[in-house]
Amino acid sequence: MKTEKTNTLLILALIVGIAFHGSAIFFTLEYTYDALIHLFFADSYADSWFDPWEYRWYTGFTVQSYPPLVHQSIALLSYIGGLKFGMYTVALIGIVLFITGAYRYTLLMTGSRRIAGYGSVLAVFSSTFVETLHIFGQLPSIVALSVLMHSMVEIYLYIKTGKLKYFLTSVSMLAVTVTCHHVTPIFGMVFFLAPLIGMVVMDASREQVNSYKELTFKVFWRTTLKHFWRIATFGGSGLFLIVFCIFPYWYNSKRNPITQVPIPHGSRDNFLEVTSSGLVFFLIPWGVLLFILPYFFYRYYSKRYLFFGLSFTMLTILGTGGTTPVPLMLLGETAFNILTLDRFTLWATIMALPIFAEFGYRMVEGDLKTLVQKKFGEVYHRVLGGLIAGGMLFMVIFTMTLSYFRPSQPAQINMLPIVNFLGADSHDSWRYLPLGFGDQMAWLSAQTNAMTVDGNYHSARRLPELTTRAIERIENSKFRGVEGIGSLQQFLTVPEKYNLKYIFSNDKFYDPILYYCGWQRLQQLENGIMVWEKLNVAPIPQIMPKQDVPTVMKIMWGIIPITTVLIAFFINIQMIWIRLLKSKKVEKSPFKSFELQYKKFPSKLLIFSHFWAVIVLACIGYGIYLFYVKNTTQLSPKNVLTAYYDALDFKEFNRAHSYLDPDSNVTIAQYMLEVSVTDGILSSYAKMDSLGIEVFDVTKNSAKAKVATNWITPLEKVQHTNYHELIKQKGKWYIKPSKFDNDIPPDQLFTQNTTTFYNHGRRKITTQETYHEDVLKQPVLEILSAKLVKNKGQYSIIGELQNVDNSPADVVIKATLYNDNNKELANYNAKHHIKHKLMPKETTTFKINFEGIAWSSTKDTIPPTFNPDEFTPLNFEEQPTKFNLQSAGNTANTDLYKQVALQSLEFTNQGINGVLFNHGVQEVTIPQLIVSYYNEDAELLWVDHKFIPEGVRIQRKQFFNYKPVSLDSLTIINSSLENCYVNGLPNKAVAEKVLPNRIYNHGPNQIQPYKGNGYAFIKFEINSYIGNPK
Amino acid sequence: MKLGLILALFICIGCTSKKEQPSKNVQNPKVSLQTTQTNFIAGSPINLKFKTSNNNAPLKLLLKNAFGSVIIKKDTTNTALASFNIPKNYCRLAGNLHWKLLHQNIPLLKGKLYIETNTKNKTHVETYFGPRSITAGYNDYSMLTVVPTDIYDNPVDDSTQVTVKYQFQKNINETSLNTNNFIAWYNVRSTTKAGRILVTSESNGTTSKELTTIVFPSNAEDFKITASSAHNYADGNQIITFKSNIIKDKYGNTVSDGTLVNFIIKDEKGAYLNTVGTTISGIAETRTLHPDYAAKWTIKAFITGAAESNTINFNFEAAIKDYPIQFYENNRKLVIGPFKSFMKQLVPDGILVKIDIYDKKGNFIETKNTTTKNGVSSIYLETHYLPNDTYNFKIKAAGITKEYTKDLYGN
Repeated sequence: MKTEKTNTLLILALIVGIAFHGSAIFFTLEYTYDALIHLFFADSYADSWFDPWEYRWYTGFTVQSYPPLVHQSIALLSYIGGLKFGMYTVALIGIVLFITGAYRYTLLMTGSRRIAGYGSVLAVFSSTFVETLHIFGQLPSIVALSVLMHSMVEIYLYIKTGKLKYFLTSVSMLAVTVTCHHVTPIFGMVFFLAPLIGMVVMDASREQVNSYKELTFKVFWRTTLKHFWRIATFGGSGLFLIVFCIFPYWYNSKRNPITQVPIPHGSRDNFLEVTSSGLVFFLIPWGVLLFILPYFFYRYYSKRYLFFGLSFTMLTILGTGGTTPVPLMLLGETAFNILTLDRFTLWATIMALPIFAEFGYRMVEGDLKTLVQKKFGEVYHRVLGGLIAGGMLFMVIFTMTLSYFRPSQPAQINMLPIVNFLGADSHDSWRYLPLGFGDQMAWLSAQTNAMTVDGNYHSARRLPELTTRAIERIENSKFRGVEGIGSLQQFLTVPEKYNLKYIFSNDKFYDPILYYCGWQRLQQLENGIMVWEKLNVAPIPQIMPKQDVPTVMKIMWGIIPITTVLIAFFINIQMIWIRLLKSKKVEKSPFKSFELQYKKFPSKLLIFSHFWAVIVLACIGYGIYLFYVKNTTQLSPKNVLTAYYDALDFKEFNRAHSYLDPDSNVTIAQYMLEVSVTDGILSSYAKMDSLGIEVFDVTKNSAKAKVATNWITPLEKVQHTNYHELIKQKGKWYIKPSKFDNDIPPDQLFTQNTTTFYNHGRRKITTQETYHEDVLKQPVLEILSAKLVKNKGQYSIIGELQNVDNSPADVVIKATLYNDNNKELANYNAKHHIKHKLMPKETTTFKINFEGIAWSSTKDTIPPTFNPDEFTPLNFEEQPTKFNLQSAGNTANTDLYKQVALQSLEFTNQGINGVLFNHGVQEVTIPQLIVSYYNEDAELLWVDHKFIPEGVRIQRKQFFNYKPVSLDSLTIINSSLENCYVNGLPNKAVAEKVLPNRIYNHGPNQIQPYKGNGYAFIKFEINSYIGNPK
Repeated sequence: MKLGLILALFICIGCTSKKEQPSKNVQNPKVSLQTTQTNFIAGSPINLKFKTSNNNAPLKLLLKNAFGSVIIKKDTTNTALASFNIPKNYCRLAGNLHWKLLHQNIPLLKGKLYIETNTKNKTHVETYFGPRSITAGYNDYSMLTVVPTDIYDNPVDDSTQVTVKYQFQKNINETSLNTNNFIAWYNVRSTTKAGRILVTSESNGTTSKELTTIVFPSNAEDFKITASSAHNYADGNQIITFKSNIIKDKYGNTVSDGTLVNFIIKDEKGAYLNTVGTTISGIAETRTLHPDYAAKWTIKAFITGAAESNTINFNFEAAIKDYPIQFYENNRKLVIGPFKSFMKQLVPDGILVKIDIYDKKGNFIETKNTTTKNGVSSIYLETHYLPNDTYNFKIKAAGITKEYTKDLYGN
């Protein structure tokens, strides 16, 4: 035995790996999906190591819902240099562990130090590792997998030799893996350790016979029995470790089972249908390995690796997600919907690494090189090698820059102003909600003590508003379509339920819904984040509910993980020392005797691989071709319309203009001008959801098309139908531009006087409660009418109220439904069927709908899919018959723009056509019509609304068409002002005191006679949202 | 190994909690109170002395007052006289102070002291005044509540005199009250004039801070409105302004700024249009656009529930009496206009022109909307959409409808 030489390739891999990944993480890690979540968990441990309850997310959740080692390590390191220092240090350790782990795993598999060197180099440039680290930021997963790879060598040695030393090293490392990540060891047992044990037994059997040919099942069975106790000992201890080391985790999983609606994940998509998921979860992790798949299968199905072959096949198939039905069948519905399947691809590609390294070795300096050179010549060999290496580098660079070209996260937000805002003036006595922050919300949470209703670890979601919908965060609800917006609206409508007072908006998309739910802009912070606030929300109570766990669990959770690392370190340090410094001769590892002499690469395999490569290339080529055809925009009327709307959706007006008929003489300048002056919900706040194009009257050179577009807006789903004329010129289809409005306003310059209001808040600066004399009187409201009605199976409270005070009021109105036995059935607030801001003596009609979450027993009443416009009729045995209305006024000083006039009305068979005219000085971005319906006695029956998709500019008109509803199925269940309260006082008393001589015919005098189905009068009220108040 | 460590840990944890049993057979010393004074003034130091038979007995004193309980140790050691200094905050709170002398948790003696409010030093005056705004008239009031206290925040004894002063415009009124149940209160009645009432109070030579309530005007009374515009032609472009006179309440106060006045416009077709004004110095002003066809408007304004205006009329004469329509290029190009206004000038851009197209059997095909530019509006009907045939056109603009039947032919 002689001292082995240092493996230069490994050293090279470590140097390059640390230099490359180590410097890149500083530009990528904070933009990944997961890294900041782990940072937040780490902050939780740094704050209170032993208390697992974390109040800052979801009104409280337990950090025992995720294995703690990585988080605790970051927390420990954060005491030295802050949280981010901890995160980067752990990432660096992860990189080193991964490269060395890949080396040892390859060494174990191939027995060759040379190939293991190749393995370490290839690990550095493996696109799956790049993706997991730099795009997903899955630190625990990387560390756990790396440690697992290290432990595999020890496990092999233990089962082969049965030495206690190896037993200790293997279980100590397994324990570390368990405390890092729970899924890795569980599936790792199945997919990595089971085949490994199989291989050990196979090796032991091989030693008893002279060749693999003689290795029959009988021999194998005999050897298995011989090793049975070692396998059982190891298996048993492995299971014990998985259960014991993170026992509080299992305890918590049992206590809080994941009962939520599964969240769609790209890895479960059909990759052929959703090509973006296919790219991220299949093409990128596999990368160049795809071309070499036949070799992997060839090698893994050789006798020694047989069990790895089976495991590798399973992983490959499971990683295909919803592309084939196999994963769903194998995993079952529940597991399929909870697991993210990308991890299987990750494991498959990692499992392939040693064989890939072997391939590399044979290609660069082995028999494959000889074969290729002999068969195709030296040049071809060089070109082929260059292509594979080039392909690898391309995939690495492509993956690294993916988030640069297609950012998955909003630009980095400077959190300091927000942290300061939350810290000042007791703002952290309420909960806040960030909107449009992406995964950076976790970083904000980590920096402040303030609490949010949202969170970024969806398995721990607790609020029914969240768990009943397939949304991971409210913060990015717009990407979850109607369901996401629906969930957000519930938080915005009833914010006092969770003491939610502040919203930080980084995405103006959400602004209209905030306004229409009664929120108001407070201030814009230095970093451009708009702060919205809601009045009349009580602060968080001093004592908050908490789900406590036994002290034993807390101690286990706080001590075991770090202990496993320490133990593993002390047990293994000697080995590491010897191996690293070559200070002592080590005995030859038994697996080294299985090193192969690569003499003859099967030429059939080479030919097959070429065929395979051609097939893969053909697939890629076909994909590119499809991409091209889909993007040949002017090939047909449908294509050009799709492209045009796509351009509009992404606000690429130059591109949109290029699809317009060049003969129509609309210059780009003019087009941009026209586009820029149209504001409104569709042009500023909508995301196109679907596009339905119906082409008719097609001739050779012309066509007409009806384009029905569905837009997701923060307020509701908007359906918009446009008619277009198309013509074909020189083989290309174009859209004829629509005529635009030539209207000009009468005045160039005009003046207007308005009353504006200012509320000081606190006049005296104090850290204590606001001084008594700085508390304004709540404006007095009067409820003029209130009714419980049932229309189309839906219960609503409708009514009218007036601000009878002398100062403007912000109105919050809450209704509670009761049955005959006075049992509370549901409560909810008025959402957008009300003008939330009222000038003195202004009236508003209102309607309160009771959405899913409002009902006392949520489970039975949750609509399967949420549609803000539609309501799932509820089947109750308990009919609501009574109601209670609580209204509260607070002095308002913003959003009091009333200068929009109803200028003309025309009653036609197609509905009511009208014109809104803006005579003020602010541009109205989204006008809303609140339409109320009355019976012959001018009593209120129903309240409806319409958002007008386009804004009203100053001194200009906006046409609208409103189709009145039919009220033939409406029944009034209860009409009473008995249980109506204003600022906590009975409405009757308020009415008698403030307006004792009310003139009751004013209401009837202001409503429009209209012969409708079930009603005799209607009234239009206008509520204006101003996007950019000046 | 690890398991061992953890087990060891659990054992350690298990060893820490130990229950203490109270020792029995305690020999209680004989004690007697030496201090005779039972009434004290808040803030003055209190010292309780007990004579004890056992110099070393671990005597403790339990104190209880309105704020809570505390146990204190004796100050002296090894003397026959056990002395207890009552902590400052227990000496400062007026009222009963109960004490109990304990020896190893067994009470030996108990008693109480009475602490009087400290009236010798300066009095503090705590005042509350609300609501912060009231309505003019005879019904409303703000309540001033005065709590005179000593420097330790103990309320002074009942029947302490408090002087309340309040000012409205030139009048300053003063009234004297006596505290009852520690407080004195006074209702400052609203005035018929809107404005600001300032109040203050005084007790024992100390004055409170200035507090204020705003008297807002009462509900509006009926008012008058006028309409004005540059001309009364229905050109669809001019702005008409509606204005109220100064709206006042029944006491002659101008209504508060921002009061919303709803102007309801009824046109001759029975449509209820509206525009909204808010008052500034009592005057509500609002605007809307002239119609683009002759119309008769009846306008009435409301402050809903409280007041209404007179009804006024405004008649718009047709600005566009007629307009020509020309068909060119095989009747495929329609030029509508020029639209001429009341002085034969070209109308400002933007008059809406609607063309309803019907086939020869009278079936509706489609509506085309355009607006005028430089007085005219032109539209080209392409062969792709309207093949050669006979069509009926209904052209609507400025309230004038024209009908044509035309053959379309050629390209």
